[in-house]
Amino acid sequence: MANETKYWKGLSQLNNEKEFSKKHDSEFAEYIPVEEFIGNKSAMEDSSTNRRDFLKFLGFSTVAATLAACEAPVTKAVPYVNRPEEITPGVANYYASTYFDGNDYCSVLVKTREGRPIKIEGNDSPDAINMGATNARVQASVLSLYDSNRLKGAMMKSGNGHSEVKWEDADEKIKARLAQAKGIAIVSSTIISPSTKQAIAEFKGKYASTRHVTYDAISYAGMLKANLSTFGAAMIPTYRLDNAQVIVSLGADFLANWISPIEHARQYSKVRKVSKDNREMAKHYQFETILSLTGANADERFNVKPSQLGQVALGLLAGVGGGVSAPNVLSKEVAKVAESLKAANGKAVVLCGSNDPAVQLVVNQINQKIGAYGSTIRTDIPDYTHQGDDTAVAKLVEYINSGAVDTVIFYNSNPALSAPKALGFESAMGKLATRISFAGWMDETASKCDFVCPDHYYLEAWNDHNPRNNHYNLQQPAIRPLFKTRHAQESLLTWAGNKTDWHTYIANYWKNNLIGRSKFGDFSTFWNKSVHDGVVVLAPAVAPVVEDPKPAAGKPVTDTTATAEPVVAVTNSAEQTISFTGGTITLDAAVSQLSVVKGGKYELVIYQKTGIGNGNQSSNPWLQEMPDPISKITWDNYITMNPADVAEKKLFGVEDGSGMMVRFDQMEDELDVVSIKANGYEVKLPVWPQPGQTRGTVGIAVGYGRKGYNEVIDSLGQNIYPAVGLNANGTMSYEVFDVAISDATGERHPIAATQTHHTLMGRNKDIIRETTLAEYKKDERAGNPLNTLHTYKGEQMVENVTLWNDFERPNHQWALAIDLNACIGCGACVVACNAENNVSVVGKEEVRKSREMHWMRIDRYFSSDTVKEKVEETGEMGTMAMYRSMENPSFDNPKVVFQPLMCQHCNHAPCETVCPVLATNHSSEGLNQMTYNRCVGTRYCANNCPYKVRRFNWFNYVEYHRFKNINPAQDDLGRMVLNPDVTVRSRGVMEKCSMCVQRIQAGKLEAKKAGVRPKDGSINTACAQSCPTNAITFGDLNDQQSKVAEMEQDSRKYEVLEVIGVKPSVFYMTKIWNREDENAHL
Amino acid sequence: MKGLWHNVQSTRFVVLLSLAITLLVSSPISAQDGAAALDGKKLFKTNCASCHYASDKKGTGPGLKGVLGRIPDGDWKYRWVRNSQEVIKSGDAYANKIFKEFNNSVMTNFGSLSDAEIDAILTYADKGETPPPPPGGAVVTVGGEAKQEPVNNTFLLIIVLVLLIILIAVLRFAKINLKNAVNEKEGRPDEPALPFLDAARKWMNENKRIVAVIGLFLVGGLVVNGWYMLKDVGVYAHEEKPGEWKGYKPSQPINFSHKIHAGDNGIDCKYCHSTVEKSKTASIPSANVCMNCHKVISETANPGSKEEIAKIYEAVGFDPAANAYTKPQKPIRWNKVHVLPDHVYFSHQQHVVVGKQECETCHGNVKEMTVAEQQRPLTMGWCINCHRETNVAMEDNGYYTELHAKMKEKYKGQPITVSMVGGIECARCHY
Repeated sequence: MANETKYWKGLSQLNNEKEFSKKHDSEFAEYIPVEEFIGNKSAMEDSSTNRRDFLKFLGFSTVAATLAACEAPVTKAVPYVNRPEEITPGVANYYASTYFDGNDYCSVLVKTREGRPIKIEGNDSPDAINMGATNARVQASVLSLYDSNRLKGAMMKSGNGHSEVKWEDADEKIKARLAQAKGIAIVSSTIISPSTKQAIAEFKGKYASTRHVTYDAISYAGMLKANLSTFGAAMIPTYRLDNAQVIVSLGADFLANWISPIEHARQYSKVRKVSKDNREMAKHYQFETILSLTGANADERFNVKPSQLGQVALGLLAGVGGGVSAPNVLSKEVAKVAESLKAANGKAVVLCGSNDPAVQLVVNQINQKIGAYGSTIRTDIPDYTHQGDDTAVAKLVEYINSGAVDTVIFYNSNPALSAPKALGFESAMGKLATRISFAGWMDETASKCDFVCPDHYYLEAWNDHNPRNNHYNLQQPAIRPLFKTRHAQESLLTWAGNKTDWHTYIANYWKNNLIGRSKFGDFSTFWNKSVHDGVVVLAPAVAPVVEDPKPAAGKPVTDTTATAEPVVAVTNSAEQTISFTGGTITLDAAVSQLSVVKGGKYELVIYQKTGIGNGNQSSNPWLQEMPDPISKITWDNYITMNPADVAEKKLFGVEDGSGMMVRFDQMEDELDVVSIKANGYEVKLPVWPQPGQTRGTVGIAVGYGRKGYNEVIDSLGQNIYPAVGLNANGTMSYEVFDVAISDATGERHPIAATQTHHTLMGRNKDIIRETTLAEYKKDERAGNPLNTLHTYKGEQMVENVTLWNDFERPNHQWALAIDLNACIGCGACVVACNAENNVSVVGKEEVRKSREMHWMRIDRYFSSDTVKEKVEETGEMGTMAMYRSMENPSFDNPKVVFQPLMCQHCNHAPCETVCPVLATNHSSEGLNQMTYNRCVGTRYCANNCPYKVRRFNWFNYVEYHRFKNINPAQDDLGRMVLNPDVTVRSRGVMEKCSMCVQRIQAGKLEAKKAGVRPKDGSINTACAQSCPTNAITFGDLNDQQSKVAEMEQDSRKYEVLEVIGVKPSVFYMTKIWNREDENAHL
Repeated sequence: MKGLWHNVQSTRFVVLLSLAITLLVSSPISAQDGAAALDGKKLFKTNCASCHYASDKKGTGPGLKGVLGRIPDGDWKYRWVRNSQEVIKSGDAYANKIFKEFNNSVMTNFGSLSDAEIDAILTYADKGETPPPPPGGAVVTVGGEAKQEPVNNTFLLIIVLVLLIILIAVLRFAKINLKNAVNEKEGRPDEPALPFLDAARKWMNENKRIVAVIGLFLVGGLVVNGWYMLKDVGVYAHEEKPGEWKGYKPSQPINFSHKIHAGDNGIDCKYCHSTVEKSKTASIPSANVCMNCHKVISETANPGSKEEIAKIYEAVGFDPAANAYTKPQKPIRWNKVHVLPDHVYFSHQQHVVVGKQECETCHGNVKEMTVAEQQRPLTMGWCINCHRETNVAMEDNGYYTELHAKMKEKYKGQPITVSMVGGIECARCHY
């Protein structure tokens, strides 16, 4: 039979450890010692509240509550004095805007209620680069607007701290300092705003000594340098994964972080989804060190050490006929991938996450060989969102040390956090005469500055963006500035003596420079349309010359190999020239550099987490509470290490004779702390055994170890940015080839990992169903056998065996379809659900007790690559060995499946029958309704839920002081983000996914008012709407034309735990792997 | 309603529906005076009074007393009323002068008024209207309190109770005196007069059964009454008499009378509560909506009206003397009358637009309310009852076509109520 694959959420479940069984057997992790306490006389007497006091309090509170209830509360209603024309109380307005923080770019729609932004949604304009998609970081960005830690006005250094000053006073003092400055530098993250660039130019006009340095914490300078060498222009091309049949990634986490992850995810989903009519999907190979989100989705994934990445690239180049000799690293696998690339005939692409120009240059050669340029890589549409120039940053430090620069203005950059130690920025900071920051928070750099002139948050600010050639975006404010902040550009202009307000300035720029390229003759039409749409695509500034087969004149000759084919030239219509000072590199130099790279015993990869990214938003509680897609850890950073290495290091104090199976009893509670030394920088962090991590390597995420927010955020993890190195080519290296790792220090670190929380029982095909593409092509039902039950009437389909009568669904029957093949596990839906449904943040301590409140979670299952059929076929293993091997954790390359799980809205719901007060029951539209005000908190429903999706409010999270700095709704400011259409639940009630019933009701009302049936797609849940890969589809099964009804008929459809007969309204589509072997078998 | 015209006549009070002006005169048609004067006044109130006074006072436009003497002769007046901008553009000197004098405010076009109607209006306005008598004068206000307070039963009961207590005390006093007299006569020493409480205790000791029965009744009565009282906690209403609700009636920062606005002057509810068809909330009108009319109406015959209207001016920062918004704004903090708990999602547009319900169904007879009050209990039981009894407005709504056919078949011709289509399910209101 087919259902023999074992799935496991974490190592402790795999090994059926004591801790794990303790956790999943009882509903709540923590043991509550009620009886011991009451039965213990001395404990009772020691307690500050004895029995008599307790009864007194009880009596008093009863009386007080009764009296309070008698009093008529007076509710005030304060209408507008002058109601703004566009605001209708109770109706949401949407404003197109743009999110760009120097790392993530996304065109968004801001949902506002009564003038308050409450939710971010993707801009679904056809011109938007992100095509309506968002990710977790963009979804969460609305919360930071209401962060009470934001600076409330201009600050000036006084003593050890800062004190607020009037803007005029600050301006005067700053102007005086600037006038005396010997040399000024503006250090910013990538700026793609043409108006801002003009403002900086104007500032330069006034202060001639000014230089502008682009410094990105996560740099792509290696790519810029390689492309400068290949194409004669420092630029990053646009990738079109939706044109690819073979995608090979060398350490590029392109679904979560790399260049334009939201866009890539949507493109990726287009070539990965299969259906009855389209049974082809792209094949995805991943060579990587850590198990990244992208790697977890790869069909075939190969572990490489960072030091081997360049050699793999060389191997690939050799394999596709690049005329270099292949080093002996993973030669078999590399040769296979190279064959696959060649066979794709131009419909292939190689992506590389390394910041070493040598590797990137080799990758460029591979892409040329396989004909990717013009097909999957578009050099004629340069992407401008990453322009960091590492060489210029190093140069700046030199200038500061020599005294040539004595004044620095920091704009959206935080080098005190993110600069590598090797750069020596910290000491250089001390030598400056004047430091000015535009930071909105008192971050690491701002706290060292003499003046902090806080910029507006992006939802309060005007800006324009030019993320890609001919692509323009406007960023319009969705709320008036909450505090006395000021546009950074306006500050620059003020100091330069220009009093124009920033809005007018942008409008003028567009009037003077852009209208000519639009199809509008009239400026106000052009401007209003652009503000309304958020995005506009303009005609090229210069007539483009696309795909010039000849190399651009004067470009450095890089290709010394005779076999190299002519390069595709960059379009000469590029409107931004990226200022890049890193020089070029030749292929020969690259090849010889890469051939000799050697790594130490342990190597380190410094990476961005899917939730936290480069750390811009690490003070955001929604992102901190979102479990990392791979490790499922919240509120922390840690060292990821292969479990075999963990065993070798004898961590967790447990030794196993075989050296393979380590007991991970403690792993979900406390972690062993080790100290790690890289590039002369030492940190102490807990070790997380991570299957899939390359042996002999460790991974640490950036964005932690923050200072200056609040005690909760500041206490999280350590900052690893200083360990970033500078490589021989002058770019920052996020891989360290030799690090020293200590043995266990004896310290233990408590961890909040959710991987085995809310575990579904049964580790087989009832939860996850998967198959291979080859099988699917043969048989539509591959991997998805029909479930039958033995009854007295003989074998019966599960759906026909039931104890309950079915109910009518005369009007609608709402349902969710989740395509496991499209889901990449990124967590955007989890954060979107938080925002839409006012889900409480509970903090690390509560997460440790399995009390996270997320209405939807993404279960991440690992499984072994040993399967029964394969073993039987080959006959290599005995039965005992086979079963042992099937349970083998595959430390190196576990298969990963993500499964979003929310309330399944069972039509025969087990929770409904056990509620003593009928607080949960079923609607005639198929929804499992939860009525908070009726709930008395027995928690029977949660006990009886087979999917473990019900959440109990243990505390009043928005009021109880313990959740200060954790729950954003603790202060009035944080409460502004709450969705007024959804009740904020109080202590003692159960809650769960409502299938966004508020959106359903609103959509139905619109349809009723219009006198039509709701159109398919006009109502959507928050999770489905935010999904970058469209993995979640919401709709009405009674509407035969709906997408969801069509999917319901698909033979890939299955229900989780179908055999228990609860008839869920949420169903899944089998996962399909594009693998030749039977790893993902029937 | 019978007082409406009296009100209008004596107070210059105006019905505000649109804007009008007229400046011309031809030969006065004295023959038509009787009917035309009445007609003219009505027309003036309907069309012109929101911008013009029929006196010397200036509104948005000029006061129209003596207008016939000022304006050019001929058909100028008709042309002006029907399309003043055209007259101005034609270069007419007087038209331009007036236009300029009143800050270039464009007068609404009244193309539908006939020559005779325009004449009637101007004839009425030309004569002018006697200004309203000062507040507190002889004129009896009609819009004020009309209902007589019901006789207070509680007060009568208390009087009876006090009388009974006095009677008991007197009788006891007499009894003690009589007993003492008897004792004296029989030569027995006076019984020490027990204090009242001791006496009562003694009596209770001797009559335990009676006490027990009385006690039972008392406790029972308390429990039953307490139970019913609890049901009203937080509801502000109780069912003393069926159909009549003793409602929550908070005082308001401005003594705004729905009776005057919606009742006497017949202003549509939706004119002020304008979002009722667009949003979940009907919305309390913003002060700028009040100013649509009260920019002109600063005072009426109702006592205190000037002070109350001045509160609107204070809120919007309006300076009536300068006729300009120059002062700081201060939002009005109303006391909310109809309060639903936070965990209830109630949508006005669902009920008014889709359900075609009248405002009165839930808000009672607002047109008769001098002070807004809650006349319906707004409890969940009350909502559910209504949903059980009210038919869904399914006809002519494409959303329901299919459902209606199914339901008709299922319920065999019974009317389809809201509850039959799931209208009493929890998640319709609670989420």
